[in-house]
Amino acid sequence: MADPARSDVAPSKIEICGVSKRYATDDPDTPLVLDNINLAIGDNEFVTLVGRSGCGKTTLLNIIGGLVESTHGDVKVNGRTVSGPGQGKGMVFQQHALFPWLTALQNVGFGCRNKGVHKAERDQIAHQLIELVGLHGFEDKYPAELSGGMQQRVAIARALATDPEILLMDEPFGALDELTRLEMQDELLRVWSAHKKTVVFVTHSISEALVLSDRVILLAARPGRIRREFPIPFPRPRKRTDPQMIALYDDIWKSLA
Amino acid sequence: MTTSVRWQDAVLGAAGTGGLFLLWELASRSGLVSTNVFPAPTTAIIGTLQTVPLADILGHVWTSLGRIFWGFALGAVLGTVIGIASGWYRALGVLTRPLIELLRPIPPLAWIPLAIIWFGLGEPSKVFVIFLGAFFPIVTSAYRGMIGIDPALLRVGQTMGLRGPMLLIRVAVPAAMPDLATGIRIGWGLSFGVLVAAELIAADRGMGFMIMNARQLGDVDVIVFGIILIGAINLITDYAIGAVIRRRIGRWHAI
Amino acid sequence: MVTSRIISGLCLIILLLLWQFAVMSGFLKPFQFPPPSRIGEAIVELAVSGFPNGERIWTHVGITLWRIIQGYVLAIGLAVPIGLLIGTIAVLDKLTLPIITFLRSVATLSLLPLVIIWFGTGELTKVLLIAYGCFWAMLSNVIAGVKYVDPVMIRAARTLDTRPLAMFVRVVIPAALPRMFAGARMALGVGFMVIVGAEMIGTIQGLGALIMEARTFYRSDITIVGMLFIGLLGFTITSGLSWLETILLPWSKGLSEVRR
Repeated sequence: MADPARSDVAPSKIEICGVSKRYATDDPDTPLVLDNINLAIGDNEFVTLVGRSGCGKTTLLNIIGGLVESTHGDVKVNGRTVSGPGQGKGMVFQQHALFPWLTALQNVGFGCRNKGVHKAERDQIAHQLIELVGLHGFEDKYPAELSGGMQQRVAIARALATDPEILLMDEPFGALDELTRLEMQDELLRVWSAHKKTVVFVTHSISEALVLSDRVILLAARPGRIRREFPIPFPRPRKRTDPQMIALYDDIWKSLA
Repeated sequence: MTTSVRWQDAVLGAAGTGGLFLLWELASRSGLVSTNVFPAPTTAIIGTLQTVPLADILGHVWTSLGRIFWGFALGAVLGTVIGIASGWYRALGVLTRPLIELLRPIPPLAWIPLAIIWFGLGEPSKVFVIFLGAFFPIVTSAYRGMIGIDPALLRVGQTMGLRGPMLLIRVAVPAAMPDLATGIRIGWGLSFGVLVAAELIAADRGMGFMIMNARQLGDVDVIVFGIILIGAINLITDYAIGAVIRRRIGRWHAI
Repeated sequence: MVTSRIISGLCLIILLLLWQFAVMSGFLKPFQFPPPSRIGEAIVELAVSGFPNGERIWTHVGITLWRIIQGYVLAIGLAVPIGLLIGTIAVLDKLTLPIITFLRSVATLSLLPLVIIWFGTGELTKVLLIAYGCFWAMLSNVIAGVKYVDPVMIRAARTLDTRPLAMFVRVVIPAALPRMFAGARMALGVGFMVIVGAEMIGTIQGLGALIMEARTFYRSDITIVGMLFIGLLGFTITSGLSWLETILLPWSKGLSEVRR
């Protein structure tokens, strides 16, 4: 039970079958943004997508999230083809994308309100999640009054509030300073252990991928393809200075070059 | 610290204003400027209050405020609805945009003859001209606000299962509020700016009528009094609107 | 973008055709809504024989333009030096702030009766009214431009041993220029707004006078032509000013979004 289910054992939570993407404005001669991506992600698995800018990792995440339509192929969640955003897929973006006109508490409760959850229950859920991400006392602050790390904590709490099965994170810590970033990684693992989810996490930081995920998917650019996969078998919490981790880091770095 | 600085600012401001009035008063009283041409502020106010009954003055103010209110309210509601709808529904925007862009450069006052031809000499024509003053800045800023929404916010709304009108109401409209608010303030100022000219249309009441009538009677006191009165009401109402806007959105949006 | 422009243009043409048709079928009264064909004829009439006393459209446009230019240049010429002075000296700014706020709130056209008593109904009255409206719009923007120069920029210039005069000429003024241009554009808008009111009295020349005069002759078609021309004139000059800004300040992304 300690290890999350692996894709070859349990049925996959997310199945990406032959997904390709070309933007409508693209010249037909330019390489595809994504070219025939096949990937299965297990239940409660934490997967990171790593690659250089322009390798299509964000596009892939948006396709899984149902925000962008694929040109070919499709994505199945629980065996059903994804037809649009929402429906149990929470998302966290690089620029926190909090609603500036809502307080932290109201931002977290936003998704529940859409589902018609009553205010009392909504506030209770939101309070709990605010507590969970360590923002007790900041419930009534507006995003503009919070620091970058706090904003991203609210964004994570907001994505968790509707209790989605899948959490899609698009470089959520990319805009934070190094110290806050390390802190947020530990924070995310703590939250994840409390609320097990299937997580797809996009990043361009190899060390971030190593600390967080069960599996690193390395994408190549032009056209966007899966270059290699790296399972990370080490138990959490992981030490960033562990020699095995450093060896794996080198391995991934060489594959990137 | 900050409060004492603010105090200092206020004192300096009051000193500057007081100084100017004093100069004006002195210039007028010493005979440097003829009182028949440019009365001292005290002369103008006392002179007006002696010749025009207070009830009449209040009646003029009330009439003008009513016209501005209706013209502005109409312009604000229509401008907001059309601007937001044009920004949200592309097909509608293609229809309304060229029309608005074509008519916007025409100053509101230039519509006065058409307003009379269409609505006669009564209240509707005055309200219409004031309406135009409010409508164009508000519709333009509402549209700009909609176009400038951070797409990430819309995407978040979508990932939380919002679509169509719900996405519009709960995400897009609040996101466009800051732009709309500036449009509303500009619109209010323009409505006021148009007032006097609008009240040249066969009016027998209103602040604009009051000063234009005073010109025919050669009563400079009333004119100066009226100018100060219109300016003061404009300033106070603009400040009030600004305060309401700041209270509503000031905490999350730096104005 | 191009296709949506074409669609927009088509929509306008369809609208004009509908209008024409509505009048021809008697649905709209031609006096209240002169059809496009009548407006076209009125343009020709104004270009060839003129209205009301043989003044052709070019005369009207030229006179209006000349009044605006005089008032505008007077206002800008006064507002820039005064604004630079007030913006630089903090005490002066604090002394004058309430006065400027109030005088800016004074509706320019409410000054009309007073200015008429002072200077009659001639050219000077119109020019002064335009200048008054433009002046305050420009002045507050010049002051704000100077006052809110990024302090980091000032500090950076100091570390480069910039002397006070050079600081003003080479740092403060360039940094304030985008805001000043925004003010100039705003002032122009005010000028166009005031001119119509100013030309309502004591003249039969100029676009504002043309618009009003046509009504007394029951010529709503000429009123509309006048409106079109003043709109076109305003649009052209505003575009020209924006163009000038992109030429003179290529580094500025344009403060077209700056309001008040």
